[in-house]
Amino acid sequence: MVQWNSVLTLFFSLLVEAMPFLLLGVLFSSVLLMFVDERRLIAAVPKNALLAALLGSSIGFLFPVCECGNVPVARRLLVQGASPAMAIGYLLAAPTVNPIVFWATWTAFRDQPELVFLRVGFSLLIAVIVGCVFSTQADLRPLLQPAVARAMPAIRGQTPTQNRADNPGADLLQSGTFMLGKAGAPLRLDGGGMQAAALVSNPMLAKPLPEKLRLMLDNMMQELRELGGILILGAAIASVLQVAIPREAVLSLGQGQITSILAMMVLAWVVSICSTVDSFFALSFASTFTSGSLLAFLVFGPMIDLKNIALLLSVFKGRAIAYIFILAAQLTFVLTLLVNLYVS
Amino acid sequence: MPSPRSTSALRLLWLDVLAILAWGVLLLRFWLTGRINVLLHPDYVWLAIAAGIALVGLGGVKLMDVVQLTRSRQPLPQVLHINFFPPGWGSALMLAVAIFGLQFTPRAFASQVALERGVTDTLTMTRSQPQSFRANVRTEDKSLVDWVRTLNVYPEPDAYTGQAAKIEGFAIHTAKLPDNYLTLARFVITCCAADTYPVGLPIKLATSRTVYPQDQWFRVEGTMITETVGGMRQLVVQSKSLTKISEPKNPYDS
Repeated sequence: MVQWNSVLTLFFSLLVEAMPFLLLGVLFSSVLLMFVDERRLIAAVPKNALLAALLGSSIGFLFPVCECGNVPVARRLLVQGASPAMAIGYLLAAPTVNPIVFWATWTAFRDQPELVFLRVGFSLLIAVIVGCVFSTQADLRPLLQPAVARAMPAIRGQTPTQNRADNPGADLLQSGTFMLGKAGAPLRLDGGGMQAAALVSNPMLAKPLPEKLRLMLDNMMQELRELGGILILGAAIASVLQVAIPREAVLSLGQGQITSILAMMVLAWVVSICSTVDSFFALSFASTFTSGSLLAFLVFGPMIDLKNIALLLSVFKGRAIAYIFILAAQLTFVLTLLVNLYVS
Repeated sequence: MPSPRSTSALRLLWLDVLAILAWGVLLLRFWLTGRINVLLHPDYVWLAIAAGIALVGLGGVKLMDVVQLTRSRQPLPQVLHINFFPPGWGSALMLAVAIFGLQFTPRAFASQVALERGVTDTLTMTRSQPQSFRANVRTEDKSLVDWVRTLNVYPEPDAYTGQAAKIEGFAIHTAKLPDNYLTLARFVITCCAADTYPVGLPIKLATSRTVYPQDQWFRVEGTMITETVGGMRQLVVQSKSLTKISEPKNPYDS
């Protein structure tokens, strides 16, 4: 009976602490959807793959959305001509490298500030590396879902150069597929390209303000019920695990340099908790698990988990998701193992 | 007559609104009944209150919308969204948990959790390490947690022998201590109940500890001595008096 009360107290404590951050995340993501035009941003992205990946990884500061909100945004970015480096960088880093997640992580781990900064640093590093790896694939379309690939450019059967010569305005629609390999090729976002891009751009931007506000509230409700449901499942798993598993078992797993990291990565993948609130989840393991493993949970979870694989499948083919998954998992493991061995 | 499809869509809208409203009410209720102190660090209570108000506001606005939609015969708005749950499940889950939470009274962790998590007078490597440190001239002004932090900085128990102590906490009867000892413990919180961990000091009693039931809160006044108990040479409070006190409004120290 006492144990049951402990589980419930833990459960509600996680939810009550996480709910404000979830609300904030949902608010920002809805504002973004209604009021921000990503095309202007794409226009400013450098052509160099490294810089594009770095910029893509950092725009979470402008678009603070968690991993549930960022897949649709990454899809819009790709379709509107963002380079693979930028889109992948954004996809992997934005859920972590943004002010709301930073604040939430700080709230949870203010006694271990190094975890907060390492989380951001590692997420940036991994996102940039994976972004650069993907930029070597000149044409990303074979890795994308047919619907997304079709929406990108209307250049099937044409070489990019031909297409640009024939229709200079359509540069916007080609960049994601070939421009990174061609130094000096300009990325144009004006002119006729806009017309085609309108098919896939954010349809909300054209609506009048009261309509936008109403749609914004609708979107908030939708994301809240969706993410709130997942948060509840995650909090339930965390609180039952914390009370039900014998402490000795947890300690022996959690104190191993390698086992702790692997366990937390698997947990991050399964639990699929939203990045705005995952630090509170990790906090419940803070006294029994190594710092490196907590970091692995905080870095790996937002990049790829059971829940957002369903979302990622709306953009990428399985093969591409496997590449992202393997690269992100290996990099997270190596980096956090270094933390366990040399830092903490 | 609305078609069956629109009726079920309308039902989903109502479910959404009720779930959001219920969560807003739940957060505010935890605050108004003071039970939020059992769940959160006091620094973050305002976040939960703000979220409660925002959710009630959002729910209120949407409630008016849904009432209007229910009365009118307009077609329902169609919004495309990628869903993880089947329609209605997310809201139903949120609503069910909120309703359960409204009649659930969270209780502060006590001896059982403390024993499971291991009560110590040290902060182990994996514990979060608080940076603040209060140095008091009058040792009887030190709280239990202050004593534990002092011990972590300078663990030699002899350094404190003879100092006056006045500390508050709840009683735990640990098996490794003899019958005339109890452990006075408190939970320390950093963020929320999930990260609380217990700290405690052994109290030497004049009588058997059965007089002082487990989980009861006490104010202990006494003197610090060094003893070897439970196979460990450690700092012990030689009690002069134990006064029953009620559980503090904020049960965790920070």
